[in-house]
Amino acid sequence: MAHHAETGHPTGHAPAVHAEEQTTTGINHRKLLMWVFLSSDCLFFGSLIATYMVYRGQSLVGPYPVDIIDVPITTISTFVLLCSSFAMVRALAATNEDNQGKIQFWLLMTAFLGAIFIGFQVYEFNLFRAEGLRIDTNLFGATFFTLTGFHGAHVTLGIVWLVALFFVARKGRLGPRTALDVEMAGLYWHFVDIVWIVIFTLLYLIGGFDTGPSATISIDPSVLGFL
Amino acid sequence: MSSDPAAHQSRHPTLKQYVGIAIFLFVVTLVEFLIILPEDFRGQGWTIAPLVILSAIKFAAVIFFYMHLKFDNRLLTWIFLGGLALGFAVTMALVGLFGTFTPSPRSYAAANAVAFVHETEGSGGHHETAAAHEPTAETETAEPAPASEVQPAEPAAAPAGGGLVDLGRSIFITGTGEGVATACVTCHTIEGMPEAIGLLGPDLTHIGTEAGTRQAGVSAEDYIVESIKNPESFVAEGIERATPGLMTTAITSGLTDADIEALTAFLLEQK
Repeated sequence: MAHHAETGHPTGHAPAVHAEEQTTTGINHRKLLMWVFLSSDCLFFGSLIATYMVYRGQSLVGPYPVDIIDVPITTISTFVLLCSSFAMVRALAATNEDNQGKIQFWLLMTAFLGAIFIGFQVYEFNLFRAEGLRIDTNLFGATFFTLTGFHGAHVTLGIVWLVALFFVARKGRLGPRTALDVEMAGLYWHFVDIVWIVIFTLLYLIGGFDTGPSATISIDPSVLGFL
Repeated sequence: MSSDPAAHQSRHPTLKQYVGIAIFLFVVTLVEFLIILPEDFRGQGWTIAPLVILSAIKFAAVIFFYMHLKFDNRLLTWIFLGGLALGFAVTMALVGLFGTFTPSPRSYAAANAVAFVHETEGSGGHHETAAAHEPTAETETAEPAPASEVQPAEPAAAPAGGGLVDLGRSIFITGTGEGVATACVTCHTIEGMPEAIGLLGPDLTHIGTEAGTRQAGVSAEDYIVESIKNPESFVAEGIERATPGLMTTAITSGLTDADIEALTAFLLEQK
């Protein structure tokens, strides 16, 4: 299990260099890149969330959120995604401990829980379509599907990444020296989780009971005072 | 190899902390769910503040512990929070710009939105829609009747008054489903109605008043009804854009008496 350092790093970098390589910031470049990407992804999702909130309450025809949003079911899928984040930190911990069996188990568990979340989303999208909400039905459908769809795409990409890591782990190439490979996937995965925390609150817990257009702005700007 | 885990211990939370965070996230999500569990609380303005605060706490717990920003280089924290703050600012700017300062689309939607009725009855009861759904002003219609029991032949039976006008408007715009499908707007213009810009037939913008003056002894209502049933009966003269003889009974024969009643009610409103 300890041979991986000699046989080659998955990224093809100088194999024996530990994460503490010399950089001007003192931060590993790949890790810095991931955080900069996540930072920029905040703007991406921020724009989509803004679009949803701007067009909230402007649909001229139903279904409106209250007609089809099912908060209890989505609460369950939210729990599942939170669980997957826990599985992810266990995978990283196992990598640092060089526990090969646990690395594989928790990586696969994370991907599996993510897949369940996607399953819930597929079910929800199909249900909405059957009840008459398509992406071109009204402004609610357009903004809802665009936002949650892009989030689902992020989760799907994360699942592919995790499964790929699982196969790397099966070859015994993951361990303390390559922990950054797992950590980067973890950062991405947790980010997808926190984006869902925001979406769940805004689109389901707060916006899920919208009955239709109202003349007033839906998000009270005074709320911002609390942040 | 044994030194590496030790080096990481200082930079990552312990297992006990991870489990603690997981339980914490569970509990907070549960509390959020409980807040909106009572039906009276759902969608209430006061729930927004606690829900936003709770989710912000969850957000912070994940990024500082699961993503171990708390234990990492401080620069990473600033990079991420910087992007987050920018995204938040963009969101608020857009919401402020389009939500607060330009409220007209919202009021338009509030006035013109139509209630959603489930195709499958049975669940219709608990999907009551807000008063804002009702088309405002002249329409004082009752709740839309459950779609299942309404006979297609006499849709005018359920709504009365304004509802009839609305039905007529929709027939005018889209035609009818069975028999003839030709929509009136294909040929007729009504100013102020974006759908009605047809150029082949007479302009119907003021037909509600004009109809009573076309034929001596024929009321506006009778004139319109007859013009729909037998388009050849009265051919308006001196109308520039009209193409005389183009409209025939072939176009209107699919309309039921109820359809014609609704259309007439709608056209009489065009004064």
